[in-house]
Amino acid sequence: MTAFLQNCFAGLSLGSTYALVALGFVVIFKSTGVINFAQGGLLALGAYLGYTFSNNLAVAFGVAVLLCCASAALVGATFERIVLRRMVGQPPFAVIMITIGLLFILEPMITAIWGFDQKQITNPWNIRTVEAGGLVFGVRDLWTIGLTAAVVAAFFVFFRYSSLGLAMRVTAFDPEAALAQGISARRVYATSWAIAAALAALAGILMAAGPGGLTPSIGFIALAAFPAMILGGMDSPAGAVLGGLVIGLAEALTRGYQDELFSWAGSNVSVIVPYLLMIVILLIRPYGLLGTKEVRRV
Amino acid sequence: MYAKRWRSWQYGLALAGAALLVAACGGAGDEGDTGGGQAGEPASGVGFDGTTIKLGVLSPLSGPIAVIGQPLTEGNKVWFDALNAKGGVAGKYKVELVQEDTQYKPDVTVQQYNKVKGEVVAFTQVLGTAPTLAVLPLLDSDNMLAAPASLDAFWVREQHLLPVGAPYQIQAINSMQHYLTEGGGNRQSRICTMVQDDVYGEAGQQGVDFAAEQLGFTVANTQKFKVGTENYAGQIGALAAARCEMVFLTATPTDAGKIWGTAAQARFAPKWYAQSPSFVNALAKSAVAPYLRQYVTIAAEGTEWGDTSVPGMKQMIDDVEKYAPQQQPDYYFAFGYNQARAMTAVLEKAVENGDLSRDGVMKASEQIGTLSFQGLTGDYTYGPAAKRNPPRSTTLFSVDPDKPFGLATLKYNFTSDAAKQFQFEKANP
Repeated sequence: MTAFLQNCFAGLSLGSTYALVALGFVVIFKSTGVINFAQGGLLALGAYLGYTFSNNLAVAFGVAVLLCCASAALVGATFERIVLRRMVGQPPFAVIMITIGLLFILEPMITAIWGFDQKQITNPWNIRTVEAGGLVFGVRDLWTIGLTAAVVAAFFVFFRYSSLGLAMRVTAFDPEAALAQGISARRVYATSWAIAAALAALAGILMAAGPGGLTPSIGFIALAAFPAMILGGMDSPAGAVLGGLVIGLAEALTRGYQDELFSWAGSNVSVIVPYLLMIVILLIRPYGLLGTKEVRRV
Repeated sequence: MYAKRWRSWQYGLALAGAALLVAACGGAGDEGDTGGGQAGEPASGVGFDGTTIKLGVLSPLSGPIAVIGQPLTEGNKVWFDALNAKGGVAGKYKVELVQEDTQYKPDVTVQQYNKVKGEVVAFTQVLGTAPTLAVLPLLDSDNMLAAPASLDAFWVREQHLLPVGAPYQIQAINSMQHYLTEGGGNRQSRICTMVQDDVYGEAGQQGVDFAAEQLGFTVANTQKFKVGTENYAGQIGALAAARCEMVFLTATPTDAGKIWGTAAQARFAPKWYAQSPSFVNALAKSAVAPYLRQYVTIAAEGTEWGDTSVPGMKQMIDDVEKYAPQQQPDYYFAFGYNQARAMTAVLEKAVENGDLSRDGVMKASEQIGTLSFQGLTGDYTYGPAAKRNPPRSTTLFSVDPDKPFGLATLKYNFTSDAAKQFQFEKANP
């Protein structure tokens, strides 16, 4: 039982990171209809900005987290303002290609500034642990889960009760009706990008504070979070969180019981589990667990 | 509708393939037999204009593996800068490097190879397992010699390759013997492995399996992982559940850091032996350092950076101070330095034979005999590929943040009886 709970905790921590990244995907998709393939690049950028604040500028880690999220948000909003705003009304495919371009720009830019060496972010968590009930909890993992929960809660409060959140929901639901009501679609799009980038940055610095440190490959986790978004439903923030947690738990539990239950299937079943889950759920629910079913009049 | 990202996220895999070795650096010392007799001046030809010998370097100078490619290439350059300052090959032919960026992609490596093969005598570096495999058929058809920056065992029997260093299997075998004889273990100990799910991981596992046969122990548990895995709690939990007392790790630094960090958090404290590419200096300065210091031994070659009691290291440090004073202590720099030494031995022999053509270089590569790296890595007996005998020695290091590269010599340059028994075969006989 202890091993099971320990694996569940690992899965929740991993799933929380996936959830943050998937939430960033969903925020942009929901308001603009575009999948932002640069999410991994924004995650890496945010993590490196966090490194600069924490290590080079010797800012307290908590402040560095806030600053890196704010900086990444600024980058996201600026990119939307300078580049994507010109694409309003253009086919989503063209915008998607631009996000892919952004990803390919961000990666070499990051390595040009910070290099390829592994870096360690100065942070108060490191590999510290606490014990409770015979279980060992990594402090960084606890913070990851807690911060994700807080962010998700704030996210839902923002969308439900703030005027900007309402504007974003309306724009996502019916852009033309939103315009008719005087809602600025541009402001909504810029806000979406800022939020998505900040979420990515938060995920990035949380990951980089772990024992693996910070390398340019940190953004690859976005690929693993991708099935979380699909699985949860591409336009559902709640689905993104649920998808992230499901994928994280499935991955950790499969890995934990690999030897006992899945040795017949090779050594890396846990790697394919997210994609298997995604396929199975899409076969049953083509719009994901909590996605909105598209209604067409024929 | 959803585009796929084409960029390989196997980059850890690539890193594994590239995973080089510690190696140290080194002196020179070609003490090979003198196959061919004295001949006249070599004729001008491809890559040699009568005064300058051009050598190709195919290395990832950009992209994530540039962290290996750049210092390794710097090692090549420093060696040849020092050589050129003494007049060059045979004291009269300067060496010029023609560098091309492979981005660690096999297809790009092939393109770059084809681009420069018409202007070089040989390649003093092809970095990585996959890129080397990609150009190997071309090397064969072009009768071109290349030095792979990779420690895979199957390079030993490839005539068109000029490997240096003891292959990964040897590191694993020597580590096992050390654990059983001096490391507190015995045949009944719970010995486990944790290896990458790729050719690099297979090499480490092969070494442990061979040692198990030779030394009479069994591998209690093996955990494989994909490069870039974010959470290792499952694998560490499985190793702990298997009551492993010793774990042999084949990984690259980012994954190794996560693995050891997870182990530390889980209070899982076996004795770890890890292959050289698992470690980078940054780990010795990380939060995991106290754990590493207590439980981890790194299997590599040569000596610690700056140990001038080893002649090869002294020479390398002198050269670094003269030609690359900004160079930081680095495994891969030393590996590149050693590679250049081996290529120099071949060129010296080719010049002695009066033939710097491809045929002449290939012939020379079979004649250099045993080459000493002056303690930076083990002596390598070259010759016809079927008869080559790579070094069987390993140096074990403990983690020490106060040392220049974070490693302190624990046991220098030893060869186990089991390692002497290991047979090298071609990849596809």
